[in-house]
Amino acid sequence: MSRSQPNRARDIPAVLFVTAVALFLLVTVNPVAGQAPAGAGAKAPTTTEAARGAAAAAKAPTAGQFRPYKAPRTPDGKPDLNGIWQAFVTADIDVQDHDAQAGPHPDIMGAYGAWPGGQGIVEGGEIPYKPEALAKKKENAEKRMLVNITSDDHRHDTGDPELKCYTPGVPRANYMPFPFQIIQGPDRIMIAYEFARSLRTVYMNANDKTIPQEPPADTWMGWSSGHFEGDTLVVDSKGFLPYTWFDRAGDYHSDALHVVERYTQVSPYHIMYEATIEDPNVFTRPWKMSFPLYRRMEKGIQLVDFNCTEFVLDLLYGQYSKYPKK
Amino acid sequence: MNNRWWILSAALGVVLAAVLCLPRFASAQAPSSTSTKPTGISAGAKSKTPPASNTKPWTVPRTPDGHPDLHGYYNFLTVTPMERPAKYGNREFLTPEETQEVFRTGLQSAFEPRDGDEVHYGNELFNPNSVDYDPTTFGLSPWQNGIKPNPRTSLVVDPPDGHIPPRTTAAQSARVLAAEVTASGNINLAGSRAGTVVQGHGYVTDDHNGGGIVHADVPLDLGYGTTCVSPGGGPPIFPAEYNADMYILQTHDTVVLQGVNGYRVIPLDGRAHFSANFHQWQGNGVGHWEGDTLVVETTNFRPDDTYRGANAKTLKITERFTRISADTIEYKFTIDDPATWTKPWSVILPLSAEKGPMFEFACSEDDYDAVNILAGARAAEKKTSEVPISQK
Repeated sequence: MSRSQPNRARDIPAVLFVTAVALFLLVTVNPVAGQAPAGAGAKAPTTTEAARGAAAAAKAPTAGQFRPYKAPRTPDGKPDLNGIWQAFVTADIDVQDHDAQAGPHPDIMGAYGAWPGGQGIVEGGEIPYKPEALAKKKENAEKRMLVNITSDDHRHDTGDPELKCYTPGVPRANYMPFPFQIIQGPDRIMIAYEFARSLRTVYMNANDKTIPQEPPADTWMGWSSGHFEGDTLVVDSKGFLPYTWFDRAGDYHSDALHVVERYTQVSPYHIMYEATIEDPNVFTRPWKMSFPLYRRMEKGIQLVDFNCTEFVLDLLYGQYSKYPKK
Repeated sequence: MNNRWWILSAALGVVLAAVLCLPRFASAQAPSSTSTKPTGISAGAKSKTPPASNTKPWTVPRTPDGHPDLHGYYNFLTVTPMERPAKYGNREFLTPEETQEVFRTGLQSAFEPRDGDEVHYGNELFNPNSVDYDPTTFGLSPWQNGIKPNPRTSLVVDPPDGHIPPRTTAAQSARVLAAEVTASGNINLAGSRAGTVVQGHGYVTDDHNGGGIVHADVPLDLGYGTTCVSPGGGPPIFPAEYNADMYILQTHDTVVLQGVNGYRVIPLDGRAHFSANFHQWQGNGVGHWEGDTLVVETTNFRPDDTYRGANAKTLKITERFTRISADTIEYKFTIDDPATWTKPWSVILPLSAEKGPMFEFACSEDDYDAVNILAGARAAEKKTSEVPISQK
């Protein structure tokens, strides 16, 4: 046997060891490529990520597919969802498939008032209504523009709450055609909506004894508790008043509504959003809606007032005016 | 075989070492700096009372980015008058005995006012004799309302005489019509009518006979407050008779100032204000840190809804938040509008920590007032019009 043989045999594990160390350190200690653009500062991709990116860059993205992505972290180590986001589905009109339509008063509104068509966001296509509840949904749709504001709860019997600028409820607030801002503190996440300045607070600290675990009162936007499962923010909401709708098509719920949302950042610019709706008074089983949320990338982007109530005072109270319109 | 064992154990050691070096694990071992539990007695530096001598001095808790941690729930109800009563002369502070007396009598009359009481919620338009607001029905009991003793003689601290400076000649001659003054002190020009302001509502005028005349022809006559158009939450943060609660949420680049009926999201990233083309209900606020004080500057107000009828084009409100103890933030706001006041003026209003949570306030959704006041006016008109002609 030559002198180098035994040495070479011992060299192999050493070489393997060094390569393993190098590869491992490169992959784990360096953050992966793909940073939230706002304020974080881009970091150079790792060797493996750059390789993957170069191969994929030759192809345009495929709708519905995202490359593996790990969101940057907040100081307390949670996925950082801070930013201004917006949905671009037409689900506010109808969460199920819908053709374009003329909208109200086309003789005055023309194309301004026409509503676009869109593919539904309901997984499986159809909302699983109980038969009597489906009849109620249809009645809602027929009366969606019938506004009769009384000084009691009957004001909510007819008329789409969106029409009245009432706060839209969950999850409708997330697919209104308006941006919203996620502000993520360590024990609270607040979601501020441009539409009617609606606001949600998600309580993130289950150990905080000063915060009730059960909803202390029923509200329009529900009572929300949240936690992270890996890279996904899970928000569990209940304690809803029964007055909000899911869309202009009259899709609705009772005060037994229970919504579980999942927010997963799948790229620097997208959150995949999913909401599971449960309401045994209205539906035969739980059902899901899902769609991407897009990060608003305009420089200096900020929510702007859409106070909204200022535009509908005559709509709401005109019947009590000294000069009612006929 | 030996080589394989060696590779395996070496690789395992490398894996363990690399995992432990990951940032996630490193930061989990850092001590938390976000607690706001009191670590000592309040130093009360601003009130010039000496700190208790037998405990550790209090230090301000900090967020991971090194700024003071302001987050929490606060109450800002007060019985300290807006302007300094003449009897205190030039004194900025009360004696400890006076402080307790003002606190005690203020609480009592806030809850159970007697004739002749002047109830100072800092909003001098509150009239305990008004038919609208009977504190015995809505007022919080002293143990509930969260008011703490305040050693200041007045909320106004600058000018040093404790009085709001005079309005400019131009502002005085411009008729601010008998508009609605909202709970936050904003004067809404919507629904303005000529006449005397009675009870802070522009749609009720004095009939010079001990009563009021309700002018509620169209919804906008009721003003932006009663119709739930004008959001609460400032600026400035200022108490009315109730709902003087707020929550502060803080991240490294954003602060949320949540009031009961409205909130503001303030960016801290150094961006400029909106251009003058924007007019926002709560203005456009931007913030930055000056040492341990959070400074929020707000411009771009709506011309029909400004604090005390100021000029939206030139009004700038600056707010300063400084945590001075475990349970107090010193909140100072400065009103600067050279078109309306002869000089800027400032108020210090303590924000006292309280227990949460805050509940949703769905204003327009539950606005029965708008219906009842309008419908009531229509019913009154109908009644009048049904009087036989011979008796008119």
